[in-house]
Amino acid sequence: MSSLEEGSGFGGDERYCVVGSFPQEFHYSQEGHNGEVKVSDSDARPRILLMGLRRSGKSSIQKVVFHKMSPNETLFLESTNKIVKDDINNSSFVQFQIWDFPGQMDFFDPAFDSEMIFGTCEALVYVIDAQDDYMDALAKLHVTVSRAYKVNPNIKFKVFIHKVDGLSDDHKIETQRDIHRRANEDLADAGLECIHLSFYLTSIYDHSIFEAFSKVVQKLIPQLPTLENLLNILISNSGIEKAFLFDVVSKIYIATDSSPVDMQSYELCCDMIDVVIDVSCIYGVEREGDESAYDSESSSIIKLNNSTVLYLKEVNKFLALVCLLREDNFDRQGLIDYNFLCFKKAIEEVFAIREKANGVERGADYAALTSDSLDNTQANGLVATKS
Amino acid sequence: MNAVIALCHFCEIHGPRVLFCTQAHHAAEPQHVLDSKGEEYPSTFGHHFHKRPRSSTNESLSSVSSDLTTCSSASSTEHCEACRSFQPGQPGFISNDHEAKISYISSQNPEHPELFTIIRQACIRSLSCENCQGREGPIFFGEDYYGYTLSYMFIIKDTQARGLQRGYSIIVVMMDKIYLLNSWPFLVKHMKSLIDELKSKSNKVYEQEQTQRNQRAERLHREFLSPGDFYRGGVNKPFRALVVLTGDANLFKYLHMRFSWILKAGGNRITEKVLEGPPLEEAVDLDDEEVTEEGFIKVSTKPAVPSSPENPSQSEGHQSEDELEGDEGPVFSSLQHLRAVLGSLNFHDVAYNVLIGNQLIARADCKSTLKSLFKVLKVILPAGCCRIISHSPTYQASWKCNFLGLSTGTELPEHLITSEVYLLLDVISPVNLKQDSNRVVSRTAGPFKGHGISITSSSVVPDKVPTILSRIVTTLNNSDLTPEIVVTVLTTLKEEWMNKVKLLFKFTRAGSHTDEDTEKLLKILQAKVEDKPLLRFWITALSSQYRSHLLTSIMGTT
Repeated sequence: MSSLEEGSGFGGDERYCVVGSFPQEFHYSQEGHNGEVKVSDSDARPRILLMGLRRSGKSSIQKVVFHKMSPNETLFLESTNKIVKDDINNSSFVQFQIWDFPGQMDFFDPAFDSEMIFGTCEALVYVIDAQDDYMDALAKLHVTVSRAYKVNPNIKFKVFIHKVDGLSDDHKIETQRDIHRRANEDLADAGLECIHLSFYLTSIYDHSIFEAFSKVVQKLIPQLPTLENLLNILISNSGIEKAFLFDVVSKIYIATDSSPVDMQSYELCCDMIDVVIDVSCIYGVEREGDESAYDSESSSIIKLNNSTVLYLKEVNKFLALVCLLREDNFDRQGLIDYNFLCFKKAIEEVFAIREKANGVERGADYAALTSDSLDNTQANGLVATKS
Repeated sequence: MNAVIALCHFCEIHGPRVLFCTQAHHAAEPQHVLDSKGEEYPSTFGHHFHKRPRSSTNESLSSVSSDLTTCSSASSTEHCEACRSFQPGQPGFISNDHEAKISYISSQNPEHPELFTIIRQACIRSLSCENCQGREGPIFFGEDYYGYTLSYMFIIKDTQARGLQRGYSIIVVMMDKIYLLNSWPFLVKHMKSLIDELKSKSNKVYEQEQTQRNQRAERLHREFLSPGDFYRGGVNKPFRALVVLTGDANLFKYLHMRFSWILKAGGNRITEKVLEGPPLEEAVDLDDEEVTEEGFIKVSTKPAVPSSPENPSQSEGHQSEDELEGDEGPVFSSLQHLRAVLGSLNFHDVAYNVLIGNQLIARADCKSTLKSLFKVLKVILPAGCCRIISHSPTYQASWKCNFLGLSTGTELPEHLITSEVYLLLDVISPVNLKQDSNRVVSRTAGPFKGHGISITSSSVVPDKVPTILSRIVTTLNNSDLTPEIVVTVLTTLKEEWMNKVKLLFKFTRAGSHTDEDTEKLLKILQAKVEDKPLLRFWITALSSQYRSHLLTSIMGTT
């Protein structure tokens, strides 16, 4: 329906203003060229839909993850009465749109253009309030998923079992299992086994929501395998235990090495970013007009009393590498720094290619790129620590 | 005012809902207010009007709670306290304007299903689609099919609502975009004053509740006591109605009164009027009777030539003409017929001369032939231009008539042949047919078979003929058209050009103007150089009364 598009036009204008207020180097890839590319590009930007029953916590998630709202403040959010479109493209590395839906309304109603809403969307996040009776939510989930699938079979469906902070650990597992079973049974009954649902336990009061959103966002980044590969090479050659590539603004990690993610280490890294930003905000900003607390000089080392070191380095304007390593391995910091420089260079090359590729022949370019950059990194001479 | 005013609310549970809607029902037209398609709909006005005759006629807006039971079409289970204005089974409100025979009826939803869809659509758009700068304020949106909406969004404070506030809007839905936009200042002014009242009422309630227990502090506190469980209690708490939020039990009665007033006053504010051009000259001239229309003084036509004989002989001729109505002479039945008899080239010449006002002199044996000829040709000229002498024993000057019928063999005066512009058409009966170099013999079947046609003209037909002539020829060329349609087409053509003539006349008399201005006007009128003689002649069709009317009437109202 035409009325729905009006919002997007408005949002577009707003975003455009924001673009103008940033210095040129804030932008990556396509962003760097000029405004025209942006405008034509804005609709093609990956779109994440936040759906779910009213009061399930959609707006809170969006506010907490992308607008740094304190979780307590979300108590005073008013109900969302229209689709709120949020462009996450210039404030951070990750480029997409988040559409926050009012839970009261049925957007499969013929009055709305479901083709327009679901046709070009990448991921649909369905939020279920775990503290409430979730039977209604499951019914609605089934309807939403099956209809959206009909419109666009390429949508990735994510189910956030939300507000789990109020549940005991046993209860959490039990709830997840129950929801998982029921949702998949419903789909199987409808003959839609082909739809894959991913489930996440989330809460805005801890880092689980950031973790879950990281997983959603990672699916939108075509360079993910390359980035993971680079991280693997980096940690194996530098004696690092775990490395995250963070989007600083949202604290979403856009890539990590292939070792399993431990929730605690992720939280540690998130907290470290907060500390670095907060300290820089208070003491770091000297130049007038430069509000950013995060720049190319940003770097931090935190030694924990369990002989673990947290090491943060700036990768580019929006990205930071945060590593966890044993204190023993941190002896050769120069080596790590050197390897990091190689890593940083490789990352730059990845996104330089994306800039050139301009969307056409994407897959081929990335394939070529992956091997290229790997060769380059090695050629650049990563020095192994354990020699 | 043909509009529906509604109060809409974004319900915490049900989303956008129509709370309360007021519409006007006209007694005269039982169709519902917005429906231009004219679907039959029982007139609530008539019903209640006859049932409850009231003495007060001037105090028109007297609110009466009536037995209007079907106020809510949706079942009560679908509504919570917050999105309901009337309890199930509770009657709506009705006010009768006895003078204008209009009922103002308020109910939760419009009863008419089509209207319901329109209002619901507008409600959803108003609350959930359109963006208003600063969240509160008037916006306009709409389309032809679902009508146009003026929506005023506003926020009412509520200590128990999420975000401590609730969203409402007042919408005015109308099919007429121009009317709605013209009413914008009026509507917005009164919507705003009404909303301000609602807000000040609700603010009082809000302040009072806040001082009793500070919700903000309480919520934070509650949250820290039992994290996660903080808001469970609030979910099942019924959402409060606007009546509670404003602390005004008679709120909807008041709203009914205000909405009805807006509908009534808005309707009185601008009156719709069909804009008409100057009245048709034809209509005026053909009527010998007095024509008095809205301040239009009696129009006396010029003494019509055929009916006002100036000399006895002509009167006699006129008389005898009537007697000879039945003479056996061949007659022209239509323009197409005339064209077939004359041949298209001759017809073209004849029509050209007739259109620009040259005198047409016809000579024939039978008066009925002449009469029918003029009758047929008259169609292409405005009535005021036709001065017909259908039969005269001697030549009559061209200022007296532009259609002149003479008997065969009547001599034309010398001065005419040498100086004046005329066209002579001879219809020669087969009996008198001589070897004449100039004649054309009609060979087509019909009454004129064997008759000779001779045309003598002192005027030269230019290459470029007036636009209207080409259009007439095109029309006549189209064999698919029946004579009735041809007459209609010609009438519209005439009207079109008469309107240009009227404009031109008004313009030329409206004071000083340069030739350049005239050229500009002609360009706007799409009149070319070749149309000028025609325009000049057709101006004479305007009667003196009509001219003075044109000149005195104000531009805006004509």
